[in-house]
Amino acid sequence: MKVQVFAALKDYFDKEFELKEDVDNVTELRQYLTELNTSAGNMLKTCRFAIDDEFVDQNYQLKENDTISVIPPSSGG
Amino acid sequence: MKYISETPLDIVGLFADAHHPQAGAIVLFSGEVRDNNLGMSVDYLEYEAHESMASKMVAAILNEARTKWPLDIAVAQHRTGKVAVGESAVVVITASPHRSEAYAANRYIIDRIKHEVPIWKCEYFTDGTKKWGGNCNCHDVTGDVNKHVYEFDQLKS
Repeated sequence: MKVQVFAALKDYFDKEFELKEDVDNVTELRQYLTELNTSAGNMLKTCRFAIDDEFVDQNYQLKENDTISVIPPSSGG
Repeated sequence: MKYISETPLDIVGLFADAHHPQAGAIVLFSGEVRDNNLGMSVDYLEYEAHESMASKMVAAILNEARTKWPLDIAVAQHRTGKVAVGESAVVVITASPHRSEAYAANRYIIDRIKHEVPIWKCEYFTDGTKKWGGNCNCHDVTGDVNKHVYEFDQLKS
């Protein structure tokens, strides 16, 4: 699956990267990303996750060809 | 309708298109870049969006506003990229038969865009530093990243 990150998260991760590890759901993905870069941990706690332009919840089961967007809290306007 | 724009917002052009024979009131809100924030001198802002998602969400918010108020016009556009001090980062135009609905709907739309739509600002200060920020910190109050504190709620009375 592919992971896309936005805004401040780009200071901690590549903008887009392939994920080959066995990560089953959104909760596990959040944990995995936190382990990958612990200094992004606090930010990841407030992020939401989206697939195909729709937010998904913690239990969403990730599929192999999903592109998952990691969405920090909005700061538009 | 284009909801996310990489180029400067054509406020005058959008307003020119926002007249309607049944609308006695048109409200135009322009969110503009200030030269200071939290005591720091701001050089410019840079906005980033998850564009496909942001476009769909702005469209949905405008549709929801239309179900809540009798709007003849409801449009919104948000900038991405570098936006200079004094330039518009977001514009919302609402038109309705009378002003109270146009004002209320406009406030509702801008509040929801600011809090919910995946658009982010990065502030670049004149001292050369930058800060991703102005995040909506509603979750500190509500304890839930999906629950926000809206100004339009506080206005109801």
